This record gives sequence, structure tokens and C-alpha cells, in this order.
Amino acid sequence: MLKMNNISKLYQTEMVQTHALRDFNLQVEEGEFIAVTGPSGSGKTTFLNIAGMLEPFSSGEYLLDGIDVGKLNDNQRADVRNQKIGFIFQGFNLIPDLNLYENIEVPLRYRGIKASERKRRIEQCLEQVGLASRAKHLPQQLSGGQQQRVAIARALAGEPRFLLADEPTGNLDSLMARQVMELLEQINRDGATIIMVTHDPELARRAPRNIQVVDGQLADFTLYQGAQNLKNVAGA
Amino acid sequence: MLLHYLDLSWRSFKRTPLVSFLMVLAIAIGIGVTMTSLSVYHMMSADPIPHKSSQLYAVQLQTMDEGHTWWTDDNLPMQLTYQDAVNLQSAPLPEKKVAMMRTGFSVYLDSDKVKPFTSNARMTTPDFFTMFDVSFIYGGVWSEQQEQSAAPVVVLSKELNDKLFAGDNSIGQLIYLDDYSYEVVGVLADWSLNLKYYDLNNGAFNQPEDLFLPFSLVKTKELSSWGNSNGWKHENINSYADRMQSEIVWLQFWAQLDTPEQKTAYGNYLTAYIEEQKKRGRFSREKPKYSLRDVNQWMQYNNVVSEDNKILVGLSFMFLAVCLANILGLLLAKFLRRAPEVGVRRALGASKRQVFLQHLVEVAMLGCFGGLVGIVLAQLGLWSVRQSYDYYSSIATMDITMLLSAPVIAITTCIVAGLYPAWLVCKTNPAIYLKSQ
Repeated sequence: MLKMNNISKLYQTEMVQTHALRDFNLQVEEGEFIAVTGPSGSGKTTFLNIAGMLEPFSSGEYLLDGIDVGKLNDNQRADVRNQKIGFIFQGFNLIPDLNLYENIEVPLRYRGIKASERKRRIEQCLEQVGLASRAKHLPQQLSGGQQQRVAIARALAGEPRFLLADEPTGNLDSLMARQVMELLEQINRDGATIIMVTHDPELARRAPRNIQVVDGQLADFTLYQGAQNLKNVAGA
Repeated sequence: MLLHYLDLSWRSFKRTPLVSFLMVLAIAIGIGVTMTSLSVYHMMSADPIPHKSSQLYAVQLQTMDEGHTWWTDDNLPMQLTYQDAVNLQSAPLPEKKVAMMRTGFSVYLDSDKVKPFTSNARMTTPDFFTMFDVSFIYGGVWSEQQEQSAAPVVVLSKELNDKLFAGDNSIGQLIYLDDYSYEVVGVLADWSLNLKYYDLNNGAFNQPEDLFLPFSLVKTKELSSWGNSNGWKHENINSYADRMQSEIVWLQFWAQLDTPEQKTAYGNYLTAYIEEQKKRGRFSREKPKYSLRDVNQWMQYNNVVSEDNKILVGLSFMFLAVCLANILGLLLAKFLRRAPEVGVRRALGASKRQVFLQHLVEVAMLGCFGGLVGIVLAQLGLWSVRQSYDYYSSIATMDITMLLSAPVIAITTCIVAGLYPAWLVCKTNPAIYLKSQ
């Protein structure tokens, strides 16, 4: 479903060049749930932004559902993003002036879906995240966990095949984080492919597949897991 | 999607009411000033009789001797001598023509109901009313016979009839002009002109006269002109008869020429007339010219819209540009502050084009509000012009064209000012803001 071959991302200023990603290779199959971990500044978010076509890459090849993303113009990227990808952000990124219903409606409007169909989907998604009774509330009237559930509902409303989550539980306490994680697992069971960036090892362990990004490259996870085991033995 | 953008724009206005108010105020002031000067310019330069302005021609004859010049661009006097006006009036063509002159009388009735007052009058031939589309509420124009016999008859304006006879049908009533009595034969319907195009020499922006009398009375009553009289040589004028035979120009003459053929024929007639007059010792230039100018050409020739007015319009547009520069700055600040939200929208599937359009709709709405408030300010401006200068009372107004133009100009200029901020915000890299929000 997603295939990145030798993707590099170079940030360049007059003074310094920074390789955020370097020869990054990854293949993701339909229906996978992948947790992406790695130290701060390792390139996790850059990877996620490139996967979501929010940022261009400097070199390499990126295929999404067989579409060569590098050859798309801005409008085409916006279309593909709108049709295939849902985003969940650490900071929720709900639009403060819009109530929950209208926030979830945003991607559907850009897709040109009719009002009656929008209504059906929004009500269904709000039901799914347990906030059906709060449709007219503004984001600031909700707790952090509820806001993140709205953000998930917004991502789901477009019925994406591909969900990108950047630290979705980063701003939540452990109880709410667990609830959000359970919601994501349910969404994955329903068929969506999920890539989740997280710092939380407990959440990462719940994902069937883990990858680690170190210095802009995909680390050999077998070696990483071996090192973790050795560390655990030494600790014991 | 347009309705959605309008909804978002309205929410944006409510979210930042002070900045929005300042922007609306800036555009409203700019539009108010611009529309005030533009409306005056528009009314000054508007065709006063569009359906037949190309059929009515002001006649000019180059009467001066060789070596004498006039101050006009083509060295032609703007008015005619009495003898030329009378000769052309009695000519076989064209069918409709009018000789005229502005004068005035002291007006009173044979009762003490109305105090005597002075009033402008136009001495004219009967075709005046049909040529310039003037209609009557009571009676009509005097007959050709009354014209020939210098009958003491008069046509009143509606305002004067209201003043003298309380708006009643006054046909057959007598009024006194100076020391003579005149019978009312007609009362005009409302006749308001932005521009008194039929006599631009004597107060182009004055309202039409209140009294209209047969032109033949000029001679019999020896009426003096209340307009400009100009000469080009020294003449001993000791009597009214001398004045009538002089080369002084003081009368206006118009001909209605409905087709190009009629215009050509009348041109030939004028050439022949000049040749005939040459034999009588007049028009002694080698090649005396004549001119036939239609209404719009006549307005242009008389510089009805002066350079000052054009400069004023230019300056008001520059002021509008300054207001727009301020708006541009405020829009930049407002839109860039919204970049994080734009980042979210872009991540959720909005294309750059959609973000750009959303912001252009917002500036268009701003322009619409500014235009509407600007109309109110322009009305205030025009009102103050009318209060300050009586001269502009008929032209310091906004017609429907100007009323509709105000929001169009406001919206267009706002969109121009909003192009750069909207383009800048639509270029927002969403990735920058999504993590930091």
C-alpha cells in the first residue's frame, strides 16, 4: 500500500545542511498497524509528514496505492490526501471557531460530499467515538481526551484507508491514552492501515509492528530488540 | 462552497471585530471620498439627452475679420450675432431649429398675493420645447403666428406656476414681467437638468429658466441679455438697433439634424450663407468657417468637465489606494495569524486554490461592507458639496450607476489588495504548524 524507496529529506540553510531523512526505505501493507519510535529529532515526524504528503521529499521514490507521489502537483496531492489519508495530531488541531460537527465536516466539504451524506457520516463517527451528544459543543468545552476523540472522528469521517497519527496520546493522561489507543485498535480491526508515531513504549508494544527511526534512517529492529533484551537481562 | 466560504468569512469578522471594523472603515472612507468626486464627475460628464444628443447641433460661425482671433481651440465664437440668428431662424432648413437668449424680468401679479421678484427667462423660438424634449402639464407652446407677431405670451416652469398660482391650471392668466402683462399659454412639467447644455455660456450647471417667451420679443421689447456678450472689434452702439446690427455675439442657435444627409445639406447651406454674407461685406476672412457640434461635442468643446475635476478624481483614487495599502497591512497580519488553521485545512485536503478562494471571498465581503458604508459617507460628502456650493446642487448627487459602482469598485479594489495576503497564506507549509499548534 505504501512504499518508500531511498527517500531523503534535506533541510538547507545558508549555514547548515540537515538530513532529516536519509535513504529511508519502508513498505507498509494494507491493514497494518505500525508504531514508529525513535529519539527526538530522529526524523519520525518528517517521515510522517512525507507519508501524508504535507512535505515534499528531496530524493527517492514514494508510492501510495501505486501512485507516484513525487509526480503529483499540489492540487493532486491535496486530492489524494483528502481521499486516502486521515490525520491525528498530538495537539488535536481542531479549529476553535467550529463546533464538533463542523470540525468533522471540514475534510468532507473539501471532498465535495453532499450535505445529507456528510450528516450521516458525521453522526456515525461521533457515535463511534462516543460524543454524539456533544455535536454542537466547541472544542474548548471538551477535555483533552474528548478533543482527541473528535480529531479521530474527523480523520475517520473521510473513510480513509490510511491513518497517520503523530503522538496521538502525547497530551493525554494514561487513562485517556488507553481509551484512544483502544479506539485506534478498533479502527485498525475495521480495516484501516495505521502508522502511529509515539514515544510511549507501552503503546508501541501494543502495535503489531514496530519500526524505529534513528538519524533519519530506519533502524534494524531485530538488532534493536536484541539490544533491549540484553538490557533487560543485565537489569535483571 | 461559496456559501461555506461566506460563512467562514462572517465568522472571521466576528472573531476579530476591531480589526474587521477598522478595515471596513478604511475602505469606507476611501470609497466615500472617491465616490463623492467620481459622482460629481460622472454627473458633469453624463450625456444630458442620450436618445437624441447626436441629432442636436450647436451652430457656430466665424464672423471675425482676417487677423482677429477668438480664444476657442478652433478660433470660432461660441455664440451668434443677432442678425445671423434671425437669418438662420428664417432659413428653409432644417425643419427644427431654435434661436435663443437668456434674459430676466421682475415678475409680479395683479394682486398682493406674491411679492415682486426677479426671475431668469429664456427668449426662444417654439421648436425649443420639442427639440429639447420639454413637456407641458398645462397648455403648450405659443403658435408660429404668435412668434411672428411677438405676442405677449409666456410659458412658466412648474416651480414658478406653483409659486404664482399654487400649482393650479394658470392657462389664460396674466402675469406682469417688468411693465408689461403676458398671458400664460403653457406650464412645463418637471424639468430638471444636471447640465444646462443648450446654453453653456451662461451657467452650465444652473437650472433651466422659469420663464419662456417668444424670441421675437427680443426686438420689440429691446431686451438686454443676461448672459455673455462678446465682440471682436470696436463698434459705436448708440441704440438697440445698432446692437442688433452689430457683430457682437450674444445668442445661441441649435439645429436638429436627424440624419448625416441632413447635416451635410445644412453644412452646405451654411457655406452658401457665409458666401452670401461676404457679398454684403461681412465674413471678410479668406475662408470663414462654420461648425456643427452635437451635444456631447459641445460639452467637450466648452470644457464642462474641467481639468481640476479630473485631477480631483485622480487624487481621490490615490487616497483610495492609500486606504487599500493600510488594509493590505491589516489583512497580512490577520491572515498570517491564521496560518495554523490554514495548515490544518491543508492537511485535511484543502488545495492551495481552495484556501486562496476562501480568503478572497473574505476580502470581497470586506469590500462589500466597506462599499455599503462608503455609499453612506459619499452621500454625506455630496450633501456637504450641495450645502457649500449652490452651483453644484443638481450634479452633486449619486445616480443608480454610481450607487451600483460603489460596491463594485470597493470589492474589486479589496480583492486587488487581498491578492498578496491570500497568496501568501495559501502558500503556508502545513507541516510547520501541525506539530506546533
